[in-house]
Amino acid sequence: MSERYQHRQGLIAQFISENRGPLLVTPALAVLVVMNIFPLLWSFGLSFFKYRANRIKEPEFVWFKNYVKVLNDPNVWDRFQTTAMVVSIDVLLQLVVGFLLAMLFEKSFPGRRVLLMLVLTPMMLSFVAVGAFFRYYYEPTFGLLSQAIKAITGETYILLATPEGAIAGIIFADMWMWSPFVMLLVLAGLVSVPKHLYEAAEIDRTSAWRRFWTITFPYIRGLLLLAILFRTIEAFKLFDVVWIITEGGPGTSTETIAIYVYRVAFQYFKTSQSAALGYILLFAVIVLTNLYLFFVRQRAAEEGG
Amino acid sequence: MKLFKKGKLALLAGAMAMAVSGAFGSFALAADVTINMAVPDWPPTRIMQDLANKHYKPKSGNNVTISLDFIPWPNYYEKLAASLTSGEEKYQMAVSDSQWLGAFIEGGYYMKLNKFIDADPELQAIFKDLHPNLVASYSTYPHKTDNFYGFPQMPDVLVTYYRSDLFCDAGEQSAFKAKYGYKLACTPAEMSDTDWDQVRDFGEFFRRSSGDSLAGQTLNDDFYGIAYQAGIGYDFNTMQINGFIWQHGANIWDETKAPTGQALGVVNSPTAVKAFEHYLSLLEFMPPVVKTGTMDIFKTDELFREGKVAWNIQWIGFGESAISAETSKVADGTDFAQMPGLRNDDGSITRWSNIGGQPFVLTTWNSDLVTQESVDFVKWWLSSDTQHMFAAAGGQSGLQSVHTTDAYMDYRPWNHAFGPQLNWQKDVWHIPEFFELLVQQQQTFDKAITGQISAQEALDSIAVFQDELLREAGHIE
Repeated sequence: MSERYQHRQGLIAQFISENRGPLLVTPALAVLVVMNIFPLLWSFGLSFFKYRANRIKEPEFVWFKNYVKVLNDPNVWDRFQTTAMVVSIDVLLQLVVGFLLAMLFEKSFPGRRVLLMLVLTPMMLSFVAVGAFFRYYYEPTFGLLSQAIKAITGETYILLATPEGAIAGIIFADMWMWSPFVMLLVLAGLVSVPKHLYEAAEIDRTSAWRRFWTITFPYIRGLLLLAILFRTIEAFKLFDVVWIITEGGPGTSTETIAIYVYRVAFQYFKTSQSAALGYILLFAVIVLTNLYLFFVRQRAAEEGG
Repeated sequence: MKLFKKGKLALLAGAMAMAVSGAFGSFALAADVTINMAVPDWPPTRIMQDLANKHYKPKSGNNVTISLDFIPWPNYYEKLAASLTSGEEKYQMAVSDSQWLGAFIEGGYYMKLNKFIDADPELQAIFKDLHPNLVASYSTYPHKTDNFYGFPQMPDVLVTYYRSDLFCDAGEQSAFKAKYGYKLACTPAEMSDTDWDQVRDFGEFFRRSSGDSLAGQTLNDDFYGIAYQAGIGYDFNTMQINGFIWQHGANIWDETKAPTGQALGVVNSPTAVKAFEHYLSLLEFMPPVVKTGTMDIFKTDELFREGKVAWNIQWIGFGESAISAETSKVADGTDFAQMPGLRNDDGSITRWSNIGGQPFVLTTWNSDLVTQESVDFVKWWLSSDTQHMFAAAGGQSGLQSVHTTDAYMDYRPWNHAFGPQLNWQKDVWHIPEFFELLVQQQQTFDKAITGQISAQEALDSIAVFQDELLREAGHIE
C-alpha cells in the first residue's frame, strides 16, 4: 500500500516536473479562452446571422449582410468622423502636455515628489468620477468654469452649448485624465539618457534645441510611439466620460463610435449588427496598431543601418 | 374481478393519501416561495418593499418572500434587459416602463394576464376601478387592445412644482400685476388654472440677476423663472414635447392606426411644428444649462430644490424630496398644481400630457405556484387598504375609488392635482422598435433645443426616419 502510494506520488512529481511550464500557463490560458477567445469567436460567428437578443426568433444566416448594412449606415461614418477628430486632437494634446510635464519633472526641485503624485492622481480615478466631476465643472449654473468666467466678464459661460464647445470639453476632460500617463512614459525615457552625453554636448556648446533633437529625442522616440499607440487605442474606445458629460450631444455632435455600438447592441438590441460593427471597430484598431509597428520597425531598421 | 380488486386498492390508497394530506395539510401546503422583483430604486418602490415586509400576509398560507432588487434609474433598462435576455430567469416580476412592453412581450418575457383576469372577479373589479388611461398605457399590448400584460405599480403624472413663498409674496404680487395687468397665481387652485402664456410671463418676471431683489431678499446669485425637462438622455425632452404636440391638436405616430397610420405628414404637420416652436420659445426663460441639452428631470429637480428656479414641471415621484427639509432648501415654500395647458375660447384648458409611472409585470418562466402567488401579491397591492397606505407614505394610486376620496387629498400636497391630471394622459409608443424611435427623436429634438436646427427641420427629419423604420418593421404599409 505504502509502496504503491509512493510510486503514485513519484509519478505525479515527475509529471509536474516535466510539465511545469504548461501547467503554470494553463490557468491563465483557460481564463483567456473562456473570457476572451470564446466570446470573440462567438460574436464573430454571430455577425453573420440575423439575430436580436430580445426576440425569440432563431438566428438566420445572412452571410455579409450585417457588414454591408453597417458600412452603408451614414450614422456609422458620422460617428467614425467624430471619433477620429476627438482621437487626433485628444492624443496630440496629451502628447504635448505629457511631454511638457515630463520635462518639468525631470529636474529635481522642492516638493517634486508630492507634486508628481498629485499630477498622477487623475489617471487613477474612475471614468465615472472624472465624468461626473467635469459635468459639474462645466455646468453653467453651479459650475466652477462658468462662475470663474462670469467673475471676469459678467456673463454666464455655457461651454457645452455648441458642438465645438462640447468636443473641447470632452477632449479637455480626457486629456486631464491621461496626460499623466504620457508623462510617465516620457519621464522613463528622459531619465534613461546617459548624463555624460549632455556633459559632452555642453563642452561642445551645442544649442538646447540641438541637444534635445540629437540626444534626448532618440531616447524617448520609442516611448512616445508607445504612448501614441496606447492612447489612440484607448481614445478610440472613448465612452464613459462622453456618456456622462454630454451623452453624445448636443444632438449627435459628441457621439463616438463606442457609444453608437452600445446603442445598437443594448438599446436597439440589433445584436448581430452590433457584432459586425464591433469587428469593423476592431479592424480599425488593428490597422492603427500595424501602422505603429511599421514605424517602430522602420526606426529599428534606421538604427540598425 | 382482478381489475375490480386493483381499483379498490387504488381507491383505498387515494383515500389514505387524502386523509394524510388532510391531517397534515397545514404542513404539506405551506411551500416556500420567493418572488424576486426587478425595480427601479426610488421612493415608490422602497415604500412598496416596506409595506410588503410589514403587512403582506399571503392568502395561500405559503411562506412568500417579496424580494425587491433595487436598480438605479439611469441604467435600469439595460440591467433589466440584460437579465431578461440572458436566460438567467432571475426575476419573477418586474417594474417596467410602459414603453418597453412591446419589446419584452415580443421577446417572450412578459406573461399575458387575460386568463387570470377572466377567471378572477376580484381582478376584474380592480381593472374596472383603475383609471382607463392607466389600463390603456400600462396594461395593453398592442396598445389599447384587450390583451393585458401589466398592473399599475406607481402611476405618475407631470405636475407643477412652484415656490408659493415667492408667488404669494405681496411685493411680487403687486409688481407682477403692475407689469402684466393680471393677478399672479398664488394658491394651488389659481396655479392649476394657468396656461402657457402665463407661464411665459412667470419666466420673464422671475428672471433676476445677482444683486437683484426677490421677495424682499437680495440675491447673491442668478435666479430663473421656469424650468421643464429638455435633456437628451432617455426620454427627457420627448415627455414634455409630446404634451405640447397633443395640446395643440397635433399627433405623434399613432400605433393604434397601424398599418395605415402614417408618420410623414403627421409627425411633421404644420400644427406639430407650431407646437414644438411653442415648447422651444419658453426655453429662453430657463436656467442656462438648458442650452446644453442636458437639462433632464434630475437637473430640474436639483435646480428647484437648490432654490434656483421659481416654477418647475416635474413627475410626482420627485415630490417627497422637494418637501423634505433634509433634501430641499425650499421645502417650506413649495406647493403643487396641475400642469398648464392651452387656453380654449371658453376659458377651459387643454392639458394633454405624457404619462409617467410604471406597471409591474409577471415573467413567463414562472411556475403555476409562483404565478398564483404573484397575482395574489398584485391583488393585495391594488386593494383599497394597501393603496391608502401607499398613498399615505407618498405613493400614488390608480384606483379611482381611492384617489378621489377626501382622505387621499390630505396625504400629500400634490394629490389634489393627480386625479384631474390623470384624465389628460396619453402615452408614447409601445412597439418593440420603441428605443430606436426614441433615440433618434431625442437627438433630433436636442439639435433644435441647442439651436442647431429649426423646429421644422427637426420634425421633418424625425418624420422621415420614423417612416423608413416603421415601414421596414411592417408597422406602416
